[in-house]
Amino acid sequence: MSVGIKSMKKKLLCGIVFFLLTLAACSPKSSETSPSGETKNQPFTVGAIPDQDPEKLQRLYSKLATYLQKQLGVPVTYKPVTDYTAAVTAFKVGDLDMVWFGGLTGVQAQLQVKGAQAIAQRNIDNQFHSIFIANKTTGLKPIQNINGLKELKGHTFTFGSESSTSGRLMPQYFLKQAGVSLNDFKGQVGFSSSHDATLKLVEAGTYDAGVLNEQVWKSRVQSGEANLNKVEVLWRTPSYYDYHWVINPSVNQRYGNDFIKKVQTALLKLNPNVPQQKEILDLFGAQKFIPTKNSNYAQIETIGRDIGMIK
Amino acid sequence: MPQIEHKAIQNSVAKTSTRPTLFNQRSLWSLFGIAAIISSIAQTGLFRQDIINPGGWSVFLHFLIASLHPDLSPELLSLTLDATIVTLAYAMYGTAFSVFLGLVGGVLASQVWWQSVFMTYSHRQFQPTAIAPWLIIRALLSIPRAIHELIWGLFFINIFGLDPLVAILAITIPFGAVTAKVFSEILDETPRQPLIALLSSGVSPPKAFIYSLLPQAFPYLLSYTFYRFECSIRSAAVLGIIGAGGLGYQILLSLQSLRYEQIWTFFFALFLLNGSVDFWSALLRHHLGSPNRLDLNSLKLQGSKRPTINRQSHLILFASSIGAIALLLCSFSIKIDYTKLWAPRTIQLLEEFIGEVFPPNINTTQFGELFNLSTQTLAMSILAIALAGLGGMLLCFPAARILLPGGVLNPISQSPHHWFWGTIILLLTRSLLLISRAIPAPIWALILLFILFPGILPGAIALGLHNLGILGRLMAEVIEELDERPLRSLQALGATSPQVFLYGVLPNALPQFIAYILYRWEVCMRETVIVGLVGAGGLGRLLTEQLSSFDYKSLVTTLLCFIVLTFGVDLLSASFRRLVR
Repeated sequence: MSVGIKSMKKKLLCGIVFFLLTLAACSPKSSETSPSGETKNQPFTVGAIPDQDPEKLQRLYSKLATYLQKQLGVPVTYKPVTDYTAAVTAFKVGDLDMVWFGGLTGVQAQLQVKGAQAIAQRNIDNQFHSIFIANKTTGLKPIQNINGLKELKGHTFTFGSESSTSGRLMPQYFLKQAGVSLNDFKGQVGFSSSHDATLKLVEAGTYDAGVLNEQVWKSRVQSGEANLNKVEVLWRTPSYYDYHWVINPSVNQRYGNDFIKKVQTALLKLNPNVPQQKEILDLFGAQKFIPTKNSNYAQIETIGRDIGMIK
Repeated sequence: MPQIEHKAIQNSVAKTSTRPTLFNQRSLWSLFGIAAIISSIAQTGLFRQDIINPGGWSVFLHFLIASLHPDLSPELLSLTLDATIVTLAYAMYGTAFSVFLGLVGGVLASQVWWQSVFMTYSHRQFQPTAIAPWLIIRALLSIPRAIHELIWGLFFINIFGLDPLVAILAITIPFGAVTAKVFSEILDETPRQPLIALLSSGVSPPKAFIYSLLPQAFPYLLSYTFYRFECSIRSAAVLGIIGAGGLGYQILLSLQSLRYEQIWTFFFALFLLNGSVDFWSALLRHHLGSPNRLDLNSLKLQGSKRPTINRQSHLILFASSIGAIALLLCSFSIKIDYTKLWAPRTIQLLEEFIGEVFPPNINTTQFGELFNLSTQTLAMSILAIALAGLGGMLLCFPAARILLPGGVLNPISQSPHHWFWGTIILLLTRSLLLISRAIPAPIWALILLFILFPGILPGAIALGLHNLGILGRLMAEVIEELDERPLRSLQALGATSPQVFLYGVLPNALPQFIAYILYRWEVCMRETVIVGLVGAGGLGRLLTEQLSSFDYKSLVTTLLCFIVLTFGVDLLSASFRRLVR
């Protein structure tokens, strides 16, 4: 018996030592990390908030990275992020140099990083709309103007993600304008986490009504994924500015003074007639990118403060 | 003289024959518990408003059907493999570091250490000089424990950015504190005669510990380490929710884009990972002689059996080599830059973060809302544990080996028929328990939100389901480790199987069950925050709003509420447990 214990202990000890050795082996060689001066090789890191088919966004994003790398002559990597808050935080701490933000999150990012610039948007983002949809069995009918939103009182309702501009912020603003508070709905308001989820949940009748971004709606109608026998459009909101690329000012120090300009040019140059570039544009649901600037989002900031999403 | 004797006998007869009153402490506490459950059900508004959303059944059905044809394309499979390795790696590193922290903290948080340092070990009572540092360390350890891994993760994102360190530290800090607490209790319960002998002959306390107490307690410490590893796997999956990568992250992504076939592929990977780790850990713990998590919790080390060493101990060697190989594989998948821990950027970001957080925003007008949400959160935890406890108790009996031929309830039969059905039932319930615990609670909540309105009920059910899986398994272990002697003697006296179950198994197991349920209640309370994050109501819901608006000052206030609630629940649970012990 005691021999058994001894041999077991020996084996155990061997195992533990092996364990620790491998642990030591996998700790990276800290000497290899470059001192702060040598930053040319540090990749330009791009990220995106996955609120429309995040899974596809993530798996296809490498195409954009390859394109930018060719155009800019510096290594470009794509870092996936799951949610809005993490994307803003990663942008703030400098892990993401350029991010494809929504309207609200872009403003949040601009407020948290001094000198952050909005540089490009899609040709649809300066005239962006949200679509209120309803399940047909609820008897809700399309409405003519904003006051018609009162019809939603007493029904169940879902937004998209908390920080979404088109799926939450602007719709909540328009609801407020129409005199509908979140307590007027039946049960608690849902947050579906994405535009696609909102569509599915309303289609299935989990919620009577919901709201999502027009671009996603259109593309789902086109592809036949939205079942028009079950869902109908109630109202299209007035237009507002939404998605845009925000870049961290520190990249100019890292890659040269005109780097931001270069990135902007590279984005604006994406040509729908070149098949490879069209793929990238399709991924974003855009015909092309157009320039934008921080002041375009002043309205979003005011509404964000009003609703309490910006403190 | 005879009269007096007679009276004495009468007296003793009277003493033994009076029934103990029903109004004892235990029944009082049980009434209290039942009242708490009822008022929690009332909190959900179950009978006042619509809870179940019949419109969601078709989506739910669609989701279930997808389980029959998971996405098995090569790309997704390789993605699944990568994600699995990341999750495993987080868990490995998290466990390794938390055990290291636990060992240091555990020694410092033990009474016996301070008694050795202040040379007061010969006293029966714990001396006041030794109490002060002990209390301080205990108090320090209780704060990291009260905060859920996910909140730690959100904090670390703010100072490390997107880095594997976030997930690893998020597991290490709270788990390190829990491990320290349990390790200190193990050390305090270990027989200390050898230690005193060493100390008395002038050996310094650290040396004396290394040569007496630590080797004595080693099997128990190792056993608990493996239990922690199981927990780390589950935790690593949950951390995917905040974007830390791994399986939880992929599941969330696929769930957001409604790709159910992919979700099931990830689910199956999660089942496999959890199942194999749990199986390995249980096997090892069984052979280390401390199979039961509660043995470590209720601390009866002196009386417990020594590890039985036989040829199966080779298994330990085998298993640890597998572990080493897995760790080696993991080391390729994630690169950890430890220099980031003290990099200037980290320190600068930490300073900025502290500036953003303090002073916390304590607004008196909010107190009403906070109180309201706190009661909701408490109700959620009570409902969750009630569901988990009941479900666990129902499922643990078929999941234990007692029904199989040769088991205590079926000792004589050798018929292949019984073998067949016994095995089927065993496998079925065990996989049911595995499925329910392998899926992280927030994912359960997201699935439930298809068919339930947002609120505390989907959160409670999600937490209940997840904890049911854990409790059911722990309870099944309790049953399998029950002392068989009273059961066999009941049988020998002619008791039928139901009788053995009712008068043998149940009364022996029940106190342990209740202790487990209470212990899990504490965990449930902490976990309410993670189902809140996906929209299931309570304080977690408010926390999500504050997170998305970067209102860190108010967030601290909400977090304080959480900590107070957690401490309250811990205290209640501890006093309950003392009662059933």
